[in-house]
Amino acid sequence: MKRSPSTLIVAGLAAFSFVAAACGSDDAEPQSSDAAPADTDTLPTGSSADSGEGDAMSESITIYSGRNEELVQPILDRFEAETGIDVDVKYDDAANLALLIDEEASAGRVEADVFLSQSPGTMGFLDTNGRLAQLPETTLDLVDVNVRDADGRWIGITGRQRVLVYNTDLVDPADLPTSVFDLIDERWQGQIGVAGGNGSFQDFVTSMRATQGEDMTAEWLSDLAALDPVPYPKNSAIVAAVGRGEVEVGLVNHYYNFLALEEDPNQTSANHVFEGDDPGAVLLVTAAAIVDGSERTAEAALLIDFLLSDDSQRSFSDDEYEYPLASGVEPSGGLPALDFTDVGSIDFNELQGGLEATRELIADAGLES
Amino acid sequence: MTDPAAAFTAPARLGGSRAASRLQRAPSLLTPLALAIGAGFAFPAAFVVWRTIRLEASFSETIGEIPGPLWRTVQLAVLVSASTACLGTLLAWVTTRTDLPLRSMWRIVLVLPLVLPSFVGATAFIAGLAPGGVIHDGLDLIGIDAPRRFRGLGASWFVLTAFTYPYVMLPVSGRLANLRASHEESARMLGCTQRQAFLRVTLPELRPAILGGSLLVFLYTLSEFGAVQLLGYDTLTRVIFATRLSDRALSFASATVLLALAVAVVVAERRLRGRSTPDRRAAAAGTRRPTELGWRKVPATLTCATVAAIGIAVPVISLGVWARRGLAANRVSFGDLVDPAITTATVATITALVTVIVVLPVALATTRRPGLGPNVAAGFVVGGFAIPGLVIALSLAVLALNVSAFGFLYQTLPLLIIAYVVHFGSQTLTSAEQAVRAVPDAVREQSQLLEPNALRRAVRVDLPIMRPGLLAGGGLVMLATLKELPATLLLAPNDFSTLATEVWSGLEEGFYAAAGLASLTLIAVSGALTWLLVLRRMDSAA
Repeated sequence: MKRSPSTLIVAGLAAFSFVAAACGSDDAEPQSSDAAPADTDTLPTGSSADSGEGDAMSESITIYSGRNEELVQPILDRFEAETGIDVDVKYDDAANLALLIDEEASAGRVEADVFLSQSPGTMGFLDTNGRLAQLPETTLDLVDVNVRDADGRWIGITGRQRVLVYNTDLVDPADLPTSVFDLIDERWQGQIGVAGGNGSFQDFVTSMRATQGEDMTAEWLSDLAALDPVPYPKNSAIVAAVGRGEVEVGLVNHYYNFLALEEDPNQTSANHVFEGDDPGAVLLVTAAAIVDGSERTAEAALLIDFLLSDDSQRSFSDDEYEYPLASGVEPSGGLPALDFTDVGSIDFNELQGGLEATRELIADAGLES
Repeated sequence: MTDPAAAFTAPARLGGSRAASRLQRAPSLLTPLALAIGAGFAFPAAFVVWRTIRLEASFSETIGEIPGPLWRTVQLAVLVSASTACLGTLLAWVTTRTDLPLRSMWRIVLVLPLVLPSFVGATAFIAGLAPGGVIHDGLDLIGIDAPRRFRGLGASWFVLTAFTYPYVMLPVSGRLANLRASHEESARMLGCTQRQAFLRVTLPELRPAILGGSLLVFLYTLSEFGAVQLLGYDTLTRVIFATRLSDRALSFASATVLLALAVAVVVAERRLRGRSTPDRRAAAAGTRRPTELGWRKVPATLTCATVAAIGIAVPVISLGVWARRGLAANRVSFGDLVDPAITTATVATITALVTVIVVLPVALATTRRPGLGPNVAAGFVVGGFAIPGLVIALSLAVLALNVSAFGFLYQTLPLLIIAYVVHFGSQTLTSAEQAVRAVPDAVREQSQLLEPNALRRAVRVDLPIMRPGLLAGGGLVMLATLKELPATLLLAPNDFSTLATEVWSGLEEGFYAAAGLASLTLIAVSGALTWLLVLRRMDSAA
């Protein structure tokens, strides 16, 4: 089955664009959003690494990776083998790395060439502070226009869908709501696992602000808080809690349950996807960017191209069940097909405050753990 | 002074102070040296305050967000330090002063809960409560239903107590090891029961060690993040972490509040301890007969076994279940862990050694030249433990990035080791002070007459007597370093991995098999190093 992402709903774009709006430039608008390269026959990447080989290339490149080593390192090893460029990596929580990149830049000592992030929020933080460089057009063209920064300073690598994970022993699938708004029901009183301080929950709320408006989002958050949801620090903790029946359902990213079942096939948990263009079924992107001030931008771009090559995208999808974002790459067989909807009409500039406003909205609703 | 125990202590104290007056005063360089060391330790705190001011944190917003988490943090820290004081002292006494069967084994096993990073311990403990988990099934056997939810203050108190009591047990054991038994025996001969003798004679001697250990637990709880988050208990560190990108002013303001709390507690502890320093008469010499437990061997053994079960067996079994699943499916192997294990052991050993060397002058100053200066220095050393590791790491990164003299240190191992020393120096200080006090004034006085060379005197007389205390202090730092995570991730050179970073890498995304295997390796390495470098040598010295 050929996936045709005519347009994509991408929370990352929302989260990022709020803060990017502060920087205010529209200089690098590459193409209009409805002219997506949907049915292109040519595979745009994969061989670009070879063409980059040459004497001009630096011998090494430094990556700050907020993405997990188990997943990223094998791909980086292949990059080393194919290009001859040594890859030095620092792994840490994406937010900590963003802080470090910011400190390095303000001291005038840029160490990282490429930043890989699990969440668009950290990209927004860095771009607001002017720490990201412009990506080349050829790199930006590898993905649909809706999964990259409008100003061309970061690009989506993979997608993770927001879902409701539920305990199959405790919950009748027929009871599950079709919309995240219908989750506001006494049936779920004290039974919803929420990671209010976690980046992906915050990005989901940011996208809800963009698509549903501030008031509706604030109302949903306070209704949710009234149901006494159980706070957890992160998605994997929620999936584990649902698996052992501590809570019946939880708001998480889709792939954590796939991984949990791989670790323990007997765990009684499953994903429920909200229907259609529901804000609860939004796709969040993991992203890559070149750090402003890097002296190895050609190598950095080569690496990002490599992450978007067919093989790498396959690894992301097959090994961690993420949705590939490079045009023309199919998701792994185990993943349900995604039907993305249009968000082209959202005016991000009208929304202010980005990450900080989202956090305050969540805290004001009385949610944060 | 109306305490009956004074009957035994007064003559000794008189003799002690006479001896002290004849002693050559410690070198006058000691106080400035201690202050200089203290200033180094104060750097992260200064950074936090400076950032708070520079970011112009809003007072009203800080006041609005902080009181709840602050109050919960204080509650938890008070409860955990009180319970660890009791449990740690009891276990120290049982394993050093009695004829408890297998007590050498218990002395190693009961230290082990300290080797697990708290977020791993909490994750593994919670997993044990799930259907099929070791606690769940164990309770099921005796007809008890495991709680479906294990969260909040009670759960956090329980888990942190189970993982941190060794902070009290180790220094108290060290103190007991070089405490002269004759006073206690005299008390027994004068008609005190064993319990009276312990309460009136031994306990006052242990007070500094117990207070020092509980202080460490208190500060540890202040800076704790991973475990309490998993257990659903909202503390001040959550505010620091949750706002570090979105609202940096609030994040640093919260850290400043944490710091103020730590300073208050450190000062209070110094005062409490200062009034009861009966140390000059302490002696390492004298043979001891272990207390015969008799029928109480059974409850004593059961207590040790229960504590060990909760603190180490339950997590190990959960970790083992994860690891076995992965090994069976061929998804993980030990081979990848050899290099991180060697790196971890090497760095932790170096850090322990450096920390003891750096902190010893401060301990000498506070005990031999007591006064405001050395106390301030000691306060800074101790306070470093209350600052979350990420904040310490960030402060040192900013220092190396912006001060050209330190620029060459950025992303090198020496800077990481400096971060460890600053973060964990407090763990050595308490034990080092005990060690310095263990050198009797009479011995110092005589050695000064016999050996004029101060260095040779230190090596041949002071250090051998200090050894158990210094080893205990170094051991604590080593264990803390082995499992340290946030500073390691932020400050280490690229492509540097330790067992703790391997554990984190697995646990973060739910690769439980990899996390389990790395955690078990960490426990094995920690246990082996603790025995080889610390316990074995403490025994031979005692």
